[in-house]
Amino acid sequence: MSLFLVNVLLALAWSAVTGVFSFGNLAFGFVLAMGVLSLIREQVGSVGYFSRTRRVVSLALLFIYELILSAWRVAILVLSPRMDLKPGIFAYPLKVDRDFEITLLANMITLTPGTLSVDVSDDRRILFVHAIDASTPDQTRRDIAEGFERKIMEAFR
Amino acid sequence: MTIALTLLSAAFVLIGALFALVASIGLLRLPDLYSRMHAASKAGTVGSGLLLIALAIHAGEAGVMARALAGVIFFLLTAPISAHLLAKAAYAVGYRLGPTAVRDEMASTVEEQTSGSI
Amino acid sequence: MSEANLILDYAVDLSLWILSLSFLVTLIRVIRGPTLPDRVLALDMLVAVAIGFIAVIGIKTGYVLYVDIAIALGLVGFLTTVAFARFILTRGKTEDDLLEEHNQAERLKNRPPRHAPARGDKQGEGAATAERPSASPPTSSDASAPTSSDATKERP
Repeated sequence: MSLFLVNVLLALAWSAVTGVFSFGNLAFGFVLAMGVLSLIREQVGSVGYFSRTRRVVSLALLFIYELILSAWRVAILVLSPRMDLKPGIFAYPLKVDRDFEITLLANMITLTPGTLSVDVSDDRRILFVHAIDASTPDQTRRDIAEGFERKIMEAFR
Repeated sequence: MTIALTLLSAAFVLIGALFALVASIGLLRLPDLYSRMHAASKAGTVGSGLLLIALAIHAGEAGVMARALAGVIFFLLTAPISAHLLAKAAYAVGYRLGPTAVRDEMASTVEEQTSGSI
Repeated sequence: MSEANLILDYAVDLSLWILSLSFLVTLIRVIRGPTLPDRVLALDMLVAVAIGFIAVIGIKTGYVLYVDIAIALGLVGFLTTVAFARFILTRGKTEDDLLEEHNQAERLKNRPPRHAPARGDKQGEGAATAERPSASPPTSSDASAPTSSDATKERP
């Protein structure tokens, strides 16, 4: 986290030196500072910082992609003349155990294709997910485990 | 450059409005409460998010852009939470899945919980 | 430049029409119900459409101040839905809901003979799954902590 602070300070320094405190210039300074930090990553021990940043970014990209895909699927489903859906609720055993990660996973499940998280069991080990097509729950469970849950675990621990 | 941005914001406006329309049609056509939540929480969020992004592109000022993007992120965070809370409340009270449902693995757990708490 | 602006004007007008249509369609769901959570969900959707409206009008008039209104409306809509969820949780089911469910069950019971045999068969299966929650507590009390894999095996 201190490296993030250094990054922000460097961005502020860039803005101060160039004399423009606009949003674009600050963002450019941030990217520039990130480049500088990546040059000296061996010396200041910031290797973890960069690989974590890359993983968080890849999680965010995956999330946006899945969000658009899910809205598209809902559109196709709703506009098809004959709706043939098999909704149902299935239990998903959680591997992540921190509150923050469970919240993130539940939010992402809600915004991705065909699934909606309904409840977490009291012992926080099972997430109940409503799927619009619950005919193959094992397949859906595997998708969540190998997609979002793995990425969340990579990004935040 | 400005022509491209104007056309992009026009496209976003149209696509966003169409997603909002699809979400409301889904709200009308889907058979039960939980399926309707899919339409409202996904297509609805994407619809209003796209419209806000179109506004950000059209305005072109940094402050407006930052606020519009903050609004989009805010909706992305809150829409699943409100859908989740509503689904949880509805299920705990006893609104069950519609007649087309194929499985309900939550039924046993919830009845144990709610018999004590409510 | 002017052509692009013309296209944007057309797109904005068209999308205002589309949004009005979607407002009306959502309103039908608010009126029809049939249960309170359905109405709350539809009201949530109305808020989302209204935010879209505000954004489009912001583009049309050029008043960027509308962004703040949209964010404030989103906050209010979120809090409203949360409050309604709490309310549903504390209130429980009303007699109207129970009556509605009873009517629906009656309608389902009467429907199968009128349709083709394949469809009737499918709906009978659906009714059986809907019955299941009432039958499940004994099995779950035997196995005190049923894991998910057990649950799937028990109910193929």
